[in-house]
Amino acid sequence: MDKIRLENVSYVYNRGLPFEQVALDNVSLSIRAGCVTGIIGHTGSGKSTMMQLLNGLAEPTSGRVFLDGYDINAKAEDLYEEWSALPEYAHLSKGARKKAIRREVARRRAELCFRVGLVMQYPEYQLFEETVEKDIAFGPRNMKLSEEEIGLRVREAARFAGLDEELLQKSPFDLSGGQKRRVALAGVIAMRPEVLVLDEPAAGLDPAGRTRILDGILRYQRTTGSTVLIVSHSMEDMARYCDDVVVMGDARVLMQGERREIFSHTQELTDAGLDIPQITHLVRLLRERGVPLPENIYTVEDAVLAVQALFAE
Amino acid sequence: MPELFIHTEDLCFTYDAEGPDAQPALKGITLDIYKGEYVAVLGHNGSGKSTFAKLLNLLLEPTSGRLTVAGMDLTAPSIGEKELLELRRNVGMVFQNPDNQLVATIVEEDVAFGPENLGIPHPELRTRVDEALEALDMTAYAQHEPHRLSGGQKQRVAIAGILAMMPKCIVFDEATAMLDPSGRREVLRTLRMLNREFGITILNITHYMNEAAEADRVIVINDGTLLADGTPDEVFAQRQRLCEVGLEVPQCTELLCRLREAGIDIPGERISSAESCADLIVAALGRHAEKGGKCHG
Repeated sequence: MDKIRLENVSYVYNRGLPFEQVALDNVSLSIRAGCVTGIIGHTGSGKSTMMQLLNGLAEPTSGRVFLDGYDINAKAEDLYEEWSALPEYAHLSKGARKKAIRREVARRRAELCFRVGLVMQYPEYQLFEETVEKDIAFGPRNMKLSEEEIGLRVREAARFAGLDEELLQKSPFDLSGGQKRRVALAGVIAMRPEVLVLDEPAAGLDPAGRTRILDGILRYQRTTGSTVLIVSHSMEDMARYCDDVVVMGDARVLMQGERREIFSHTQELTDAGLDIPQITHLVRLLRERGVPLPENIYTVEDAVLAVQALFAE
Repeated sequence: MPELFIHTEDLCFTYDAEGPDAQPALKGITLDIYKGEYVAVLGHNGSGKSTFAKLLNLLLEPTSGRLTVAGMDLTAPSIGEKELLELRRNVGMVFQNPDNQLVATIVEEDVAFGPENLGIPHPELRTRVDEALEALDMTAYAQHEPHRLSGGQKQRVAIAGILAMMPKCIVFDEATAMLDPSGRREVLRTLRMLNREFGITILNITHYMNEAAEADRVIVINDGTLLADGTPDEVFAQRQRLCEVGLEVPQCTELLCRLREAGIDIPGERISSAESCADLIVAALGRHAEKGGKCHG
């Protein structure tokens, strides 16, 4: 089932000005529910713009964005006719009905930023509270949850993000870069978003830090069955963590599909300014020299098994 | 005999050295880097590698030990404004986040900022800016506003600004961390070109093992001390040690190491690039076939 659907979405910056720039050009796209989808593309291909459309931070210039089949930018006036037939509105007078529908649309709109959690690039620069605990609690508090529930969610989110409980009382500014990044992640996870969208969550982290944050994201996804979108430039990470991959280029979607399918299009990926994982490159070199390996190897684990099998013959 | 460019002896640096929260970041680094070397510096976040870089043009001053760069003793009391300017012309730095490095409102003015401050006269200034933009493939954006560029483009403008100062050495502090694969490839090509054609000494601080594999030499800093120093092949051969300190090796090296651990005989030392790994595996498979594939039983 599709969690998110984009229908002919375009986004233009500085429309009508000399610096007018088309960031998204008639993009149509489906994101499967309960999967990890990687979004890759060269810088300026429209990835970050698209992310901002998903929780209403930006509204498309044209086209529609659906979350669970609901157009997140729908106006009450546009829905009036369709919804008037629904039992919850049909019995109301015309005026009351209009008001009720307006209220419902506004509620859905407000709810959107909790349902779709956005983790921006370098989110550690957005930490601001005195303690890690308060910082993680900021989102849930805005959701007007009870103190008890907030406390529960903070500890749960910290666990997902791999943060020790003893860190909760520290100042976020006394933590290492990797820890700060995970505090920022926990702050979003604490809202228990159905959709978690992350822009380069591992950029600038060392290998151990990368693994820690990506494992945290995967833990959250696997436990809650939520839908995760990760924008990344690391093909190695994408090959390891994603079910599906969307390839963007020049404001359009170039390819979308399952990971295995996408990474087999080596030439198209290179043409789009991207890469294949190094291990896939090595397998290609070996195949070119007549070594009978399968083509679709994207992780070191798979490569070890495949090469081992050759030596066992 | 290659010319010494950077020389350190028991180099130490402590943040807030006088204060109550003194934090030692470098705990005695002794090493020599020669003119024209291409060195990758690895280390986990907080290992001290960026601190090391910032000492090289005195953005930070050493707490103790000796540090000589381009023949200038940076720990000598005689270092004044004039020497500092000379040093910073010689050692350029490119940081991770381009937003923190761009100062002007037009791309070409930003690139001109450095050389202009060095007092480069006009016709030459123009040439330098044009050539630097050309080298980074940003000529088409010369008249653009930097803040409207994408992250990768901004970074290339920042690098162009350093290039235009014609330094002897450029330190890249995770300068490719925010770039896409093609942007990274392009910057890496540029590093190689600057190194090969202009003899510029390159220090590339990075978390990408594939990038480090392209250098002539790899230095690993851990917990403020030197953990490893050698060619990429030599350093990545110490996979276990690297993993213990939160680092990794390139995927092809990882594959070879795991196959060896599984008892498969793949001899050879050139383990850090995909091409050389392919050679080793093909050769080993050839020997395996000669023996009739019976070596396992």
